[in-house]
Amino acid sequence: MGIVKIERIGGLGGFGGPHLKSRGECSLADLSAADQAAVDALFASQGKARAVPGNAPMRDGFSYRISRQTPTGTKTVEVPESMVPAALVSSVKDSIE
Amino acid sequence: MRCHCSIIPNDVLKRFAEDEKLSAPERKNFADTALVDTEMRKLRLQAGKLTNVTAALSRAPVATVATPAITVADCNHSQTLPGAPVANPGSSADLTIKRAYDETKAVAEFYKTVFGRNSIDNAGMTLGSSVHYGVNYNNAFWNGMRMTYGDGDANIFIDFTKSNDVIGHELTHGVTQHTLQLAYSNQAGGLNESISDVFGTMFRQWRAGQTVNQADWLIGSEIMGPGAIARHFTCLRDMASPGAAHCLAPQPFHFSNYHAGMDPHYSSGIANFAFYKIAMAVGGQSWEKVGQIWYKAMTGFKPSVNMRMKTFADRTRKLAVSMYPGNVALQRAVNAGWIAVGL
Repeated sequence: MGIVKIERIGGLGGFGGPHLKSRGECSLADLSAADQAAVDALFASQGKARAVPGNAPMRDGFSYRISRQTPTGTKTVEVPESMVPAALVSSVKDSIE
Repeated sequence: MRCHCSIIPNDVLKRFAEDEKLSAPERKNFADTALVDTEMRKLRLQAGKLTNVTAALSRAPVATVATPAITVADCNHSQTLPGAPVANPGSSADLTIKRAYDETKAVAEFYKTVFGRNSIDNAGMTLGSSVHYGVNYNNAFWNGMRMTYGDGDANIFIDFTKSNDVIGHELTHGVTQHTLQLAYSNQAGGLNESISDVFGTMFRQWRAGQTVNQADWLIGSEIMGPGAIARHFTCLRDMASPGAAHCLAPQPFHFSNYHAGMDPHYSSGIANFAFYKIAMAVGGQSWEKVGQIWYKAMTGFKPSVNMRMKTFADRTRKLAVSMYPGNVALQRAVNAGWIAVGL
């Protein structure tokens, strides 16, 4: 079912910059059916979700850049932390590079 | 239950709630999430409306209380907000709780004493903080209603309440929300972040009674963990030298290096450096004159969601003239500071 790559970005420290990184990956097959469905929903709702009133981003909140392979190439969505299944969140590791 | 689907369209949630390929507990989880999601959306919409109403009334604020109440809740390492309310947080044996209480109270006093502002909304809004958020959580944030602090992973970062400029930074996001209402992307996002750094560092200097020459101008210096210190990182950001090697998050500090879509924690270096240059040129204590100009630029006008950096710079130039008409040196310092960063 493929690999999902996850990068945590933003936050007070600006993860994703030159030194602060937070990355991980997991196999879709290892996720529960509910988490797989949640990942599908993230990709399905990208764009539409952004337009929902009242969903302004938190200040200094984390976002997640999630990528997966599809028959037409790599698809990437960027979503707030509150939308990301816990299994994906726990797959990332913070590091200094 | 951790609601992790909060902005997935409700129809998608409901479809999963009825999907027989999922287990009964999983379907219930989606159904519960859909229910919570609906209520959370209503709550956020109401919070937004409330912000707009209070902003509209800000020229004649009606203070409901003389000083804001300060509350602290303990997340006990969950990611559920607000967490369990803490009774008497100011006398808690938990130093994180006590620090969140004491420093939030001090930020409220800073805004009251220095700028005559009564809390985030200038009407005595209760200042709520949540601590011990998540497990090894390397962040602090403002969620639109309260400040939240992680404990750090004890390697890159330690307890995020330990740098009082971080507490000032987060609370100032609330003030911005109730005044300029800046967006969080592009130039407005950079201004939003810079205003939080500027008021966070001014609060830190005020708390320490420092002049601009005595201050170190570092952001987040007390939350650096042993792993970061071992690699010679001494702060998140340095307003005096935004691109320095000792910054864990080095920033550009000239507008020529700005590009659309840049993380606001990086583009903020431009206005941060301008404030530093101006404050150093004026001398004394940062909040006495230059801080007053910044505060007026933030609070004395209508909301400007997509404000550009040049607009903010020009506003401070005009305010330097109108607020300090006889102080030519200050007016020149403001102009020179912005020119130094290309604005």
